[in-house]
Formats: sequence, structure tokens, C-alpha cells
Amino acid sequence: MLQTLLYAVTGDATKAGKAVALALGIGLGALGAGVGIGNIFGSMIQAVARQPELRGELQGIQWLGFALTEAVVFYGLIGGLLAYVLV
Amino acid sequence: MTRRLLVVSFLALAFPASAFARGEFDPSTEFEQHVWVSIHLGPLDLSITKAVVYLLLGALLTILLGLVLMRGTRLNRRLTLGEQIYEVAQTQVAEQGLPTRAIGRWFPYVATLMLFIWVVNMLGFIPLPLTGDTWHGIPVWGIYAATSSLSVTLALALMTFVFTHFEGIRENGPVRYFKSWIPEVPGVMLPLIVPLEILGQFMRLISLSVRLFANMLAGHMLILTFIGLMFVLENVFLAVVTIPAATAFYLFEVVIVVSIQAFIFAALSAIYIGSAIEPEH
Repeated sequence: MLQTLLYAVTGDATKAGKAVALALGIGLGALGAGVGIGNIFGSMIQAVARQPELRGELQGIQWLGFALTEAVVFYGLIGGLLAYVLV
Repeated sequence: MTRRLLVVSFLALAFPASAFARGEFDPSTEFEQHVWVSIHLGPLDLSITKAVVYLLLGALLTILLGLVLMRGTRLNRRLTLGEQIYEVAQTQVAEQGLPTRAIGRWFPYVATLMLFIWVVNMLGFIPLPLTGDTWHGIPVWGIYAATSSLSVTLALALMTFVFTHFEGIRENGPVRYFKSWIPEVPGVMLPLIVPLEILGQFMRLISLSVRLFANMLAGHMLILTFIGLMFVLENVFLAVVTIPAATAFYLFEVVIVVSIQAFIFAALSAIYIGSAIEPEH
């Protein structure tokens, strides 16, 4: 399907391919990170509901996990930008 | 009043914003580095660019913040804030990652890292007349973060990388330290696992630097793109949608991302240094 789309482009097919790469990089990266971040906060809510006194300790771990997961989007973004700029 | 507004909006729609359209809009031009003061020391290029100015400003502000918030004898609100920052740096960053005997040595480093990155990130969201562009002789105000340049974050990550291995070798001796990289697996697996472990050490460098860099770059890019949408589509009325959206992203970045990224960088540095001081085996 991608190939058909590319052939359908009247302009520069390379440019279209780059745009597709950029969008795929961000989109798929965000998909995975969305699931991961949802998991982290879901588990955090469960943990605090069960043991509210641990909130303070858990918060540090929660933000650590959040940032580590969120960074995945940006690896996708950087990959997409590299494809967009360099190739 | 309504009629006047209608006339104005019709005129604006009929004559799209050619007055402020500057042709092709490209948000990445905001991140280009132009040499302002050229300094060359042999092969070293130490020229002052936008990022350097922001870094110097950030360093100055960090020092001032430390002096203002941490110095004093009588407890007041200013010192209480300083205590709170100190407590976050101690309990959330240093004690999470560093073994107890190394806190005295490495707490200053991770706390400085946290404060400095926070200040530089925060400076990136305050409009300053440092864009380098002028409009009829008046400097144009804009937002730019030094941490949205990969060189800056890579330099910070390299510091942590060097300190990690320096401390690992100093504490354990070179033989024991590098032996700790070899996990306890059946001998057949070793040729596969050991290169992965070594690669992992370098991946830390990449992930540490790219995380901060990409977060700040993407944050600024989002805000710029949303505002720039007006200029790309040449329609002022998009402002109704784009300005609130840009403001929402701006607030999200300022409230959450700036602090989280500063915290994460310092916490991961502490964890890496701590794991080099006390390897698992």
C-alpha cells in the first residue's frame, strides 16, 4: 500500500517517503510510550491505594520510570528527524 | 461592534496575512548556532554562540540561586525553599543511587547537576532578547534552551560517564572493576554477553544525553510549530486554536518536563556512579 501511495504522488516521491518516515517514527514511538506510561501510573494508583503510606517513596520511582519510558518517543522522533534531514 | 469585527475578519480572510508571512516557515532555524564572538585556540573552536550565552547565563543564575537560597543564619521562607531543594537532592537523588559511604563525595556533583540543568531548562522557557535577530534595530525576543543542543547534553553526559569509570576504578581497582562487567553466565555465552555489556556502557552515554536533548528540542519544536501554523497556512484566525494549544504545551513543559528531566539526569548519574562503586558481584 505504501508503494502505491508513493507512486500516486505526483511531486517528489523521496520527500513523501521522508514525511512518512518522520510520522511513523513519532507515531509508533508515541504508541509504545503511551502504553508504558499508562502502565506506570496505573500501577502507581494501585500501589498507593493499597499502601498510602508508601506514596513518598514510590513517587521517586514513578517519575524515574515515567522519564525512562517517555524518552522512547524521542528516540523515535530523532530517528524520524534523521531520516527526514539526512537521507 | 459585531459588524466591525465581521468587517475586520472578512478583510483579514480576504487578504491573508501577507504582512507577516516570511515565506517558508521552518522551526529548525530557531536551533541553528551562529558564531557571535569568534574564539579559536589552535584547533579548538571556542566561539561564543547562542547556546554558550545561555549556558553562561545558566551557570551565573545557578551560583546566584545557591548563594541566595542556601546562605543565611535565620530561618525564613527563602531558606526553607533552599532546604526543600536540598532535601529532594539528598533523599530522592543521592540516597536512591549512591551507597552511603560515597554520598559525601558525590552528593555535590549530582545536586549541582540537578540545579544547573533545572536552571538551564527553565531559562529556555523565559523569553529573552537573545535570538540574534533584530526587527528595525530592536532585538527580537524568543525562547531557546541550551539543553536543546546535543553538544551541551553530550558534554554533561560525558562528565557522568568519565566520573563513573574513574570512581569504579578508584574504588575497586581496575581488575576487579572490569571483571564486574563480566556476568556469571555459562562460558559459551560469554562472547555474546560481554560485548553487549560493553556496548551497554556506551548506550548509557547516548540515552542520558539524547533523553534531555530530545525532550527540550521536541518541547520547543511543538510550541514553535503550533504558533508557526498561523504563518504556514497564512490565516490569523487559527490563533484561536493554536495559541491555547501552544500555551497548554508551554505550561506542560514548564511545570512537568523541566523539573522531571533535571531530576532524572541527576538521579541516573547517581545510579550509574553508585553502581560503579558497588558492582553487584
